[in-house]
Amino acid sequence: MTDVTKDATQFDRIIERYEKTEESLLAILQDFQREFHYVPEEGIRRLSEVMEVPASKIYAMGTFYKALSLTPRGRHTIKVCTGTACHLKGAPQILETLERELKVKRNGTTEDGEFTLECVNCVGACAMAPVTIVDEKYHGQTRPSKIMDMVKKQVGS
Amino acid sequence: MAAINSVEQLEAYRRELASAAKPDLPTVLVCFGTGCQANGAIPVAEAFMDMVKEQGLQLNVNIGFKTTGCHGYCENGPLVALRPQDILYLKVKPEDVPEIVEETVKGGRVVERLVYRDKVTDEVVPRYSEIPFYKHQLRIALRHIGTIDPTSIDDYILAGGYAGLAKALAMQPDDIITEVERSGLRGRGGGGFPAGTKWRSCVAVESDVRYVMCNGDEGDPGAFMDRSIMEGDPHAVIEGMIIGAFALGSHQGYIYVRDEYPLAVKNLTAALEAAREKGFLGENILGSGFSFDIKISRGGGAFVCGESSALMRSVGGDVGEPRAKYIRSVERGLYDKPTVLNNVETWANVPEIILKGAEWYASMGTEGSKGTKVFSLVGKVNNTGLVEVPMGISIRELVENIGGGVLGGKKFKAVQTGGPSGGCIPERLADLPIDFDSLTEAGSMMGSGGIIVMDEETCMVDVAKYFIGFLVEESCGKCTPCRDGLPRMLDLLTEITEGRGGEEHVAMLEELCDLLTWGALCGLGTSAANPVLSTIKYFRDEYDAHIRDKKCPAGVCKALITYSIDPEACTGCRLCAKNCPQECISGERKKPHTIDTARCIRCGVCKDVCAYDAVRIS
Amino acid sequence: MEKISVTIDGRTFEAEKDRCVLDVAHENGIYIPSLCYNSEVTSSGGSCRVCLVEAHQGGRMRLVTSCNYPVRKGLEVKTDTPLVRRIRRGVLELLMARVPDSEVILEMAAAEGLTEPRFRKDEGESERYKCIACALCTNVCAEVVGVHAIAMTERGADKKPATPYHKPSEVCIGCGACAYACPTGAITLKERDGVRRIWGRDFEMVRCSVCGTPYIPVAQVDWIVSRTGKDRSFFDKCPDHR
Repeated sequence: MTDVTKDATQFDRIIERYEKTEESLLAILQDFQREFHYVPEEGIRRLSEVMEVPASKIYAMGTFYKALSLTPRGRHTIKVCTGTACHLKGAPQILETLERELKVKRNGTTEDGEFTLECVNCVGACAMAPVTIVDEKYHGQTRPSKIMDMVKKQVGS
Repeated sequence: MAAINSVEQLEAYRRELASAAKPDLPTVLVCFGTGCQANGAIPVAEAFMDMVKEQGLQLNVNIGFKTTGCHGYCENGPLVALRPQDILYLKVKPEDVPEIVEETVKGGRVVERLVYRDKVTDEVVPRYSEIPFYKHQLRIALRHIGTIDPTSIDDYILAGGYAGLAKALAMQPDDIITEVERSGLRGRGGGGFPAGTKWRSCVAVESDVRYVMCNGDEGDPGAFMDRSIMEGDPHAVIEGMIIGAFALGSHQGYIYVRDEYPLAVKNLTAALEAAREKGFLGENILGSGFSFDIKISRGGGAFVCGESSALMRSVGGDVGEPRAKYIRSVERGLYDKPTVLNNVETWANVPEIILKGAEWYASMGTEGSKGTKVFSLVGKVNNTGLVEVPMGISIRELVENIGGGVLGGKKFKAVQTGGPSGGCIPERLADLPIDFDSLTEAGSMMGSGGIIVMDEETCMVDVAKYFIGFLVEESCGKCTPCRDGLPRMLDLLTEITEGRGGEEHVAMLEELCDLLTWGALCGLGTSAANPVLSTIKYFRDEYDAHIRDKKCPAGVCKALITYSIDPEACTGCRLCAKNCPQECISGERKKPHTIDTARCIRCGVCKDVCAYDAVRIS
Repeated sequence: MEKISVTIDGRTFEAEKDRCVLDVAHENGIYIPSLCYNSEVTSSGGSCRVCLVEAHQGGRMRLVTSCNYPVRKGLEVKTDTPLVRRIRRGVLELLMARVPDSEVILEMAAAEGLTEPRFRKDEGESERYKCIACALCTNVCAEVVGVHAIAMTERGADKKPATPYHKPSEVCIGCGACAYACPTGAITLKERDGVRRIWGRDFEMVRCSVCGTPYIPVAQVDWIVSRTGKDRSFFDKCPDHR
């Protein structure tokens, strides 16, 4: 994970890629999220300054959109798809198993900062239900008894 | 290659591509949709490419080997199609590749173990077009998906792409609108508003600036047709939008894609770039003097942004809160300018309608719902995936003929359509034709086309609770009925599923449904009652069982079920006991085991691991 | 401005086209309850749903919020029908459960014959428990004051006005317009010893040179001076002694 310092240039590098219009705000925030695994406060303050948009508005966007997180996330993100097809095919059991095994609630991060557990509303891969996404990798037909081994195998811990 | 500056140049270019193509040479098509990639399509494609290199196979360079968009049969991915033999291989692994090359590509023979096998008759079906899942389909919106490489504009042009645009540019804008009106095309995003009427009322508004927009914020859980189109045939959407923009006199378009679809964003971005290079976007398109361009706007993970006014606010760089639509977006939409917003599938139909004419399109479907519709058939059904069929097909035909019936021979209970704004339609109404009006009449709605099949092991109260829970999380919080009413509905439903509900719970749910329907600000709230009201209407007995008998007939609601082991079926293999996180299963090896129900947390692991189906839920 | 005629509860009035139903009704002595709307703030309204009325137009009836529904030719409004009362009552019952300690809501609910909500009551901290998330405060701050110190944050039931990161805002001028505008008195503004505290930040007040009463935050004077070029000495005295 990139160390977030007060240095504005790392934010500017991202902001500069976009037109200076409010239309770019969400895309820039998503790039922050991708780069730092969350949207740092300094980033919002800097974006407000450069784009001349009130910080309150950008902060509100940060709290509104699920794709953005205002607190640092774990090194790995586990997303359990909770779309309808996944729900019917056992997503709740997958989620419960992960919560139990990782000792963390949904949207929480494990104490060691290794995993963040999230739910996502349908990733459009319903034919493979139930789906779990570890970092960027999709896993289909996941089962409660196998899910932890699968996660460990992928992240190599 | 330089930009194409006229319709004549486009046709010349198409002929050039056609003469370079060698349709008779063996061609391998590997599906690169989200589902197949997840199932391991990338190593399979790499294995083919290695073989091509190693063996110097006489594969056609241009289209000999390619990756395609989603075939919609993701469950059986990675999918590999072979031409000209028209063979579809399922669940292909990298180690199967040498055999496919040797047997099929070189020898023209079928590798039987990789082809479709009917789950009921056990019949082997090697031909792509004869697989029941595909046989009954009529593909218009999905016309190119699975056959062209979505990252190649040449592939799209070779398949006849941008011919609709060429034809449109020679028409009067007003005639294009008339054509769309006459086709009877209704918006595929959910509401089913006639597209032509929308366009007509937009041009009627006096304005120097107009916008066309594409709603790719496919939010209904269980629906993925728009993902498939954006990933697999992005130019069809772009071409539709250019035609729309020309008809409406718009010079700027936007495609709003949900954040959960990274591959769609990638393929659309590349397609826009390619379209600009070729001169389909930008200044003076195909020498017509008309200029237009499209920007992509990525969503941020908010279901409500599928609502038009929220989407427009989100595009403008703000939180996606809807506004009252007392003034329609065709009058005052994006940046308060007249705006036409249609969904992905609607736009993808437009080039074909222009090219083949309104009569052709209107000859399909029903009186009120013309053309075809893409459905994502998912849930407890044998063949899950994307299906495009004429409007008016019955639910039963869809589930039984195309879907191959309910999974595991279980009893077909209901289908859910329309996502969180839709409802559940019981099996006894399964002969209902699927079109906009009859679904609405039945208390559900078309929505974007998700059809979720439910069987006897699906609890309808749990389904209602699931959707209300979904909406609680997705409510933007702007208006009182939705923000504060939905959590109360969730409370009531939770109490019912936990055996703490009384008769008054159902009455109060109905009251809250009435309040949301009349009082909420946007479509998310006003349609939120459907999952609850439709389940109360058709499955009242299940509510009663939870309330009066404190039982969940489907065996889903955890507070009302107990797990036990059938001593007849148990072999004493100890697998469940080893995996039980509570360590509450006991028994000697090779003797029937028992579950200590007091300590059991009903996590389902024992049922999941049992190879003898000995775990019972009651 | 184009004038049209509109019918409200059987009476016909002349009104400017596109004005909102609520304003036209109030001007003509017809009462419609409302919370989130202020006619001075164009961005306000549409949120609380207390002002719902029946709008009959073109053979069609819809329940609309009168605070932002434009009057057009041929519109007939009914403010007191069984449907209107039923839905308004439902809205108020939800608000009662959300903010059980708000006198304003209790009073408005009592007028509809409600004394106790049937739903689980929310329990919250001081500020949250009177807030109905109607956004009037943030609309006033952005549109009327123009400082954008607060915005509506979060979503769903958690929606609330806040400064970025709930920290004292650097741009807030302590004017208190948000607190004055709040329909339920949910925003605390405290003044003691010449210091005003709002949104977690302390503002030093200017004292009137005549009566000695602290009456306006220094930060607000700075803001007005920088915006309007008004002479700073104008603020030496409070409005009563100017």
